[in-house]
Amino acid sequence: MNFLKQLGMLLRMNLLGLPQNLGMACTTVIGVTCAVGVLVSMLAMGVGARRAAMGNVRPDRASVLSAGAVGPEQSNISKDVAGLIEELPGIRRNSRGQPIAVPEVSVFVSARRKGSGQLVGFPLTGAGARLTDYAPELHLTAGRMFRPGLRELIASNACAHQYRDFSLGDRPLMQGVEWLVVGNFDLGHTTGSCFVYADLDTVLSAFKRSSYNQVDVMMRSPTSFDELSNAIKGNPLLPVRLEHEAELAAAGVRQINGILNFVSYFVGTILAVAATIGAANSLYALVDNRRRELATLRAIGFSGAPVMAATLSEAILLSVPGALIGAALAWLLFNGRAASPFGFEFHLAVSPSLALLGIIWALCMGLIGGLTPAIRSARIPVSEALRAT
Amino acid sequence: MKYLPLIWSGMCRKPVRTALIFLQVCVAFVLFGVLQGMKIGMDRAIADVRADVLYIGPAVVGGPRLRIAELNQLESVPGVKTASFADGMLTYYQKPTQSVYVLAIPPSDFFRTVAPRIFSIQPKALEALRKTRTGILITADIGRKYGWHIGDKIPLTTSTVQTNGSTTWTFDIVGMFSDHESGEASLVVANYSYLDEARALDKGTVDHFYAIASDPKQAATVSDAIDRTFANSASPTQTSSFRERSQQALESLGDLNFAIRWILSAVLAAVVFSTSTMMMQTVRERTPELAVLKTLGFGNGTVFVLVAAEALLVCITASVTGLALAWLAFPLAAKYIAGLSMPMVVVGLGILGAVLVALMSVSVPGLRAAKLNIVDALAGR
Repeated sequence: MNFLKQLGMLLRMNLLGLPQNLGMACTTVIGVTCAVGVLVSMLAMGVGARRAAMGNVRPDRASVLSAGAVGPEQSNISKDVAGLIEELPGIRRNSRGQPIAVPEVSVFVSARRKGSGQLVGFPLTGAGARLTDYAPELHLTAGRMFRPGLRELIASNACAHQYRDFSLGDRPLMQGVEWLVVGNFDLGHTTGSCFVYADLDTVLSAFKRSSYNQVDVMMRSPTSFDELSNAIKGNPLLPVRLEHEAELAAAGVRQINGILNFVSYFVGTILAVAATIGAANSLYALVDNRRRELATLRAIGFSGAPVMAATLSEAILLSVPGALIGAALAWLLFNGRAASPFGFEFHLAVSPSLALLGIIWALCMGLIGGLTPAIRSARIPVSEALRAT
Repeated sequence: MKYLPLIWSGMCRKPVRTALIFLQVCVAFVLFGVLQGMKIGMDRAIADVRADVLYIGPAVVGGPRLRIAELNQLESVPGVKTASFADGMLTYYQKPTQSVYVLAIPPSDFFRTVAPRIFSIQPKALEALRKTRTGILITADIGRKYGWHIGDKIPLTTSTVQTNGSTTWTFDIVGMFSDHESGEASLVVANYSYLDEARALDKGTVDHFYAIASDPKQAATVSDAIDRTFANSASPTQTSSFRERSQQALESLGDLNFAIRWILSAVLAAVVFSTSTMMMQTVRERTPELAVLKTLGFGNGTVFVLVAAEALLVCITASVTGLALAWLAFPLAAKYIAGLSMPMVVVGLGILGAVLVALMSVSVPGLRAAKLNIVDALAGR
């Protein structure tokens, strides 16, 4: 009780004295602001990339790839095999009783960026008829779906905004022939990326392909995965494997996320070290400025522990506004900003959990930076300090 | 020079404080060195890439493959000095996660001269490749990774089917080459003739052509001429110089420049603020001592110089230490961009930055020290 009472009084004295040492207090706050601001805004890239890739993932969806393929690009599934996959157990059926299995083929096409005219490559996906059953998050904002057998396509709004010739009614040239954009759509949470869908057989014939890349299936429930997977393993005619949608999506962003997080933590740590040193230095100076007061307090009976605890709490308290300003700045300046490092397109996302991470990070800086000055403040010899001018 | 002991004793007055300022500036310049080094290094890498080497690929990504028969036509385009071609297939060794890209080229001297700094083949290795149809050249890295040696036979699996129906290709390792660009141990060089004869589909086609323009300044004109030549053929082309291609690749890193600028300004702002507060505190604490100096006859200017020299000395030594550490840490940070080394101009920039930081942080406290009124200061007012 006594400890707490002394601590409270000391802390009040310290904080009330801060305006006289504004420079010291600001050094800590600004240092922490910079460190947290940079860390949070850089990590926001990783979060944004992950959100763009994982935003639409559902546990009841899975993809069938060929057995040896690392990812969809190398995967190769013949029409016969795709037909057999549709009849497997565990696949949900739509209102007309058809299995929700969507064979897909991806081909690389290119378009020119609006403005700069730079050539950019992205995949055009030929998708089977039950695409809308498989992806209910696909929401047409203009026009209609493509019709089978015609060179029609639908493009995501991100595509229409970024590239020439992908708005409703445009006629982009691909593989030497004209296509017609019959619809624009939003795809759930993936706002930044370009998706273009066209009819499966039309893409196969236009790009002279004879097999699919993958078959996407919607299962009756997330637990049907094992049933379906076992049925595949039990059938020697099927040289394929089943992957959760979440796993495929995560694999797609694993490398970029690894790079982004490494860079974020590398830079963030260096900045945090600098901020911690700055905080320690200003706290040392603060303690020096208060030698006389502290010694007087010790002389009238305050013990060392609350003095130390008060200095430490002050350090931690000073780091909190820094963390809040840093996170707020990161949010104001960068949240929702489009970034496209290494050809990935996404929006930076400053999430509450990132802000929390920033605050924890800041508290650590305050704690570590305040530790030695706190010990020093508790060790001030009474007699020497009273004599000091 | 004679003031050196004075400056030194000023720095040693509060050794912990000086050490902490030193550390903070040092850490800030580690970051400066690494980030600015990457930025300048990449800009240089682009400038170093040859503008006269042209890359000719299909007009549409995934479009009809180029035919080797068109090589003669390409060589006859005005302004083209020499031309060659390459193809390749993505394979894996033993398991799908161990991917190996087989680059198939004609074993001609063209590939020795095209980009010797990033892709170099010794004449002996090329001769060995010429002699063995199923030969491949490997890098030292990939050899270490999979335990391959010259003379080994290695099976690589791919989706490219051979005429006998097999998808496993067996190659003989006949020599080494070095590749400083791809960074990962995943590239091997094989004979195009073997690939083309043995595959079941796509016979007589190549992935892309290379051409060298006789005049680098005319590269853009030659590119256009090439694309016009093939515009109405069965496989239209898209030509761009190596420099354009690396510019485009790095343009996708465009946000990086922005990020680097924002990080560095945050760091420098924090450091300037921190050092100036500390200098302020130092001057305040030393007011009586500075007053004594002035009593002894030191002029305003000299006192300012003494205070400024202290800050300069700490900042410059700290920045040099920081930049040295950055140089040590650079390979770690640059591992995602192969072949990048820290340019020395960064050291100059860094020291200049340190001088600026010192002068900015010393301006207010230094002036205050210089304008000190002796009587007031000694009286402790």
